Amino acid sequence: MSSLVKSRLIKFLLSLIIVSIAVLIIIFNLRDNIIYFYGPTDLLKNSDKQGQIMRLGGLVSVDSFQNETDSIFYFSITDGENEIDVKYEGILPNLFAEDKGVVVEGVYMNDGRFIANKVLAKHDENYMPPEVIETLKKSGKWQGE
Amino acid sequence: MSLYIFYISNFLLLLCLTASLIQFGKIINNKIFTRPGVIVLAYVQLISILLSFLILIYLFLISDFNFDLVYFNSHSEKPLIYKFSGVWGNHEGSMLLWILILVLFNFLFALSRRISERFKEITVAVQSIMIFGFVAFLFFLSNPFALNQNNFFDGIGLNPILQDPLLAIHPPVLYVGYVGFSLVFSLAIAGLITKEVDQQWASIVKPWVFSAWAFLTAGIALGSFWAYYELGWGGYWFWDPVENASLMPWIAATALIHCVLILQKRNVMQSWTIILAILTFSLSLVGTFLVRSGILNSVHTFASDPGRGLFILLFIFLILVFSFSLFAYNSEKINKINSMGLVSRGTGIQVNNWLLITILTIVFLGTMYPLATDLLLNKSLTVGPKYYSTTIAPIIILFLFFMFISPRLGWTDTKLYKIIIQLRYFIITSLTITLIISLYFELFNLTEILIIFFSLLLVISSMTASINFNKQNILVRTNLGQNLAHAGFGILMMAVVSNAVYSEERIYNAKVGDNLQLQKYIFSFDKIEQVEESNYNSLKAYFLMKKDGKLIDTFTPEIRFYSNPPTITSEASILHKFFSDIYLVMNVPQDQQSISVRMHIKPFMTILWLGTLMIIIGGIISASIRIGRVGEK
Repeated sequence: MSSLVKSRLIKFLLSLIIVSIAVLIIIFNLRDNIIYFYGPTDLLKNSDKQGQIMRLGGLVSVDSFQNETDSIFYFSITDGENEIDVKYEGILPNLFAEDKGVVVEGVYMNDGRFIANKVLAKHDENYMPPEVIETLKKSGKWQGE
Repeated sequence: MSLYIFYISNFLLLLCLTASLIQFGKIINNKIFTRPGVIVLAYVQLISILLSFLILIYLFLISDFNFDLVYFNSHSEKPLIYKFSGVWGNHEGSMLLWILILVLFNFLFALSRRISERFKEITVAVQSIMIFGFVAFLFFLSNPFALNQNNFFDGIGLNPILQDPLLAIHPPVLYVGYVGFSLVFSLAIAGLITKEVDQQWASIVKPWVFSAWAFLTAGIALGSFWAYYELGWGGYWFWDPVENASLMPWIAATALIHCVLILQKRNVMQSWTIILAILTFSLSLVGTFLVRSGILNSVHTFASDPGRGLFILLFIFLILVFSFSLFAYNSEKINKINSMGLVSRGTGIQVNNWLLITILTIVFLGTMYPLATDLLLNKSLTVGPKYYSTTIAPIIILFLFFMFISPRLGWTDTKLYKIIIQLRYFIITSLTITLIISLYFELFNLTEILIIFFSLLLVISSMTASINFNKQNILVRTNLGQNLAHAGFGILMMAVVSNAVYSEERIYNAKVGDNLQLQKYIFSFDKIEQVEESNYNSLKAYFLMKKDGKLIDTFTPEIRFYSNPPTITSEASILHKFFSDIYLVMNVPQDQQSISVRMHIKPFMTILWLGTLMIIIGGIISASIRIGRVGEK
């Protein structure tokens, strides 16, 4: 092996190592920050996900909404098959209503309750998050086209 | 009447198609396609598209609902300015605007002098084949002049969150940036074909690439400013996929402008510059594709259509295949071996190029990963904003260091310790200020301290370098654009970090008469009123902000109820002070007695915008001033 080829090979291997380390760091960081989305039925199947931050979406069940104080709320999210009780403290977005689509972000607790720290706001009252449509289609409750 | 307009406008589109084909023909055989000349054809391209764009504006202004586009996106009761800006608040109109800017760049370039005829012909031909592609796409797949058979009495309306004066200028400015890189791409291809990528080439490219970059920066900043006050979430950057889509070409372009500069000065890095030019334009197209295709779940998906995304995807694919094959074929011939010293300005810029590409990869992975899992695994997920901040922050530290040191190094080998000794006062000053800040504000996070330290160093050294007196005490011309932009970036980074650390948020449920507290301010809820406007009704709350019993300002957050289409929006009320913004937003009452109010203190927002403005002005200065003539040593 000539010295030119040798030095090129060393350079190539070195940069390969550096690049792989960088990519590994990026990917591990990515994995730590991924927030999965579940529908109620999905979430019940994946009960090992308790304690992680995640998003939950579906329809707000009819007659499930209660407020304890002015800023602590209870409601359930349903996909027509299963329901999950949600507790949320904070401000509800303008378009939050029963029987409308909703996506919340928070932690699924051991007792089967979902403690939400965010209710994701949408601006259009006919808007349905695509994940919620997908969830309703899975459970066969989707009424749209 | 509508029928005539239909025929005229479609004729104009076909005219532009024909002219672009002939322009393209010149690259294949310039004997047959001698006449009409490049400039005449460029006029035809420009005028035909300009006229059809004016026609579209006219249709929106007179609310001609015989046209589908006007029917779906406008409403007769909308204020005039939003009828106007509604022209590009939809897919077809924004594509026409995109094409208008494309032909405008083509036209301006065709007029430029002191460029060899053949080089100009090839550049214009490459540009024209893109014009042809996009006009064909517009004409066949998303024709803005499609008629409907019904006599609609009124239109459906424009999405109310888009009814905002800033939205009238955000997309056009962003598009000038995106599309400007199409010309840089065409110049790169022309350089590859003529095998002349040298200092001459760099000085032709320089004004175009700098102005496109300045416009892209301004477009992103406008969008961020719009999100800050219109969406009412209290933030200016959300790492939303569409924001990322505009950030990616910006990062590549930032690397590109520096490479063009090195190429102009030292005649090195030819291949890498060409790769960056191709990459930047492809990412601009990806930006358009992601926004237009509707595959992104984001606030921006108001103008979307999945079927059309396929066209742009195919277009990007063709461009990449074509340009990289050409590159593979010709790259050996454009490279010239010119060395730079190891410790030199060129090396510093090269290192920062790699850091920029790393940041680009991080943003790319974070944006594409959810799309990939959704498409391949049918699993829906989001990447949290923390991924970006924690991964990018350490790189920014290195990046700031090289931004600080590189301009102080010479183009040939320099002794590093000599430079450090020269800069010792800057280093000591920044160190002292950082120490005071971190002790006073109890800032003990190493990453944040380091970012503040290097930003300060960058700001101080760039500011000093831009004011330079010669021995007769006369202000000498310095590299003002560069220093201004670099100082602006340092200021921006400091503001971003301090804003993230010191933002404060309070949430209250308030009744009229309540006094709410935020830091040293008291907000008295004075009254709530109903207001009727031409296109919406609103609930307006009045909060009197007092400090030590004295009235300072009145805040009027609003909730607006639009009927066309039915939508509710929250309008934030913001007080901009130099060191911090105070930001109030309210939500629909859940019951009759109280409303929810969210209050934010957002430190350094004004400074953050100021830093951004300095970057933009720096870019404009660099685009318009010719520093360093060709071949200057």
